[in-house]
Amino acid sequence: MEIDNVSNVSIDEIGSIARVIDTELTIFERMKIKKRSLKKVSGAIVFYLATMILFSIYL
Amino acid sequence: MELILYIIILAFLFETMDSSAGMGFGTGLTPLLFLCGYEPLQVVPILLMSEAITGITSGFFHHEFENAKFSIKRPINRGTRVMLMIAGFGCVAILISVFLAYFAIKFDENVIKTYVAILILVMGFIGMIKLKQRNSKYKPKLLASLSAIAGFNKGIGAGGYGPVVMMGQIFSGIYEKTATAIVSLAEGIVCIVGVATFLLISNYGLTIDFVLLPSIFTGGFLAAIISPYMVRVLPNKIWRVVIPTYALCMGVLILTKLYIL
Repeated sequence: MEIDNVSNVSIDEIGSIARVIDTELTIFERMKIKKRSLKKVSGAIVFYLATMILFSIYL
Repeated sequence: MELILYIIILAFLFETMDSSAGMGFGTGLTPLLFLCGYEPLQVVPILLMSEAITGITSGFFHHEFENAKFSIKRPINRGTRVMLMIAGFGCVAILISVFLAYFAIKFDENVIKTYVAILILVMGFIGMIKLKQRNSKYKPKLLASLSAIAGFNKGIGAGGYGPVVMMGQIFSGIYEKTATAIVSLAEGIVCIVGVATFLLISNYGLTIDFVLLPSIFTGGFLAAIISPYMVRVLPNKIWRVVIPTYALCMGVLILTKLYIL
């Protein structure tokens, strides 16, 4: 637990991207999903299905 | 394998709030499942397993939707350091709770849970009062202290880890959306340690009932993908109100379960 290192943290650095997105993009612009993110959501759905198949075999 | 619709819906609703307000999955869902007639060994390890996967998933998608940025490679960024500190206190807490349970050291459950409920209520109340305060100064020592208190609460089995850590981050000046992302990933890591401990105990004759796992996993996993997106889309001023209000609700829920139900 690096409390000393953590205490050097600038508050602007933590969450700076989220702050910028909030202030500079409209709600509709924030709603747009990048192609890369859609691929990751698809990957998560494949992971979910694989896990459920494992559950049906072992449980 | 059995999928129970109302369990899927409950898990989805509570994980949606957990991944977007940083609290409530364990504190809210556990008493409800007990009220539905399920036993502790059907509920507690399954919630830990589910929260381990959904916490990591939610943290991953919070990163993907840019509510927070985590780094695995060196140099580790500062948000990740804060997350590791919070997770560290939680992991130590889980080990202490197992140690206490192993040596059968008992605290007065009602007193401890009342203390946790009042702590959450007070933090929720202060959060509501501070709503108008736009820019809080970063207070790392306060965050470390509240993480330790949250870890202690979890360690003695009183729950309320999420609400205390979440409110602690907000009082320490961390942006609400980022605080949610940090607590989701930290809880995922803490729950991995919890699951490992339960599996270790199960080697010594404890039997875990997995009947609820597919249903809780289904509801929780879907919510862990949708919630980070919801956090990105909705403006931060909404989360500034929702988080302390939900913390107040959690405090009231614990007190209701203790003294009314």
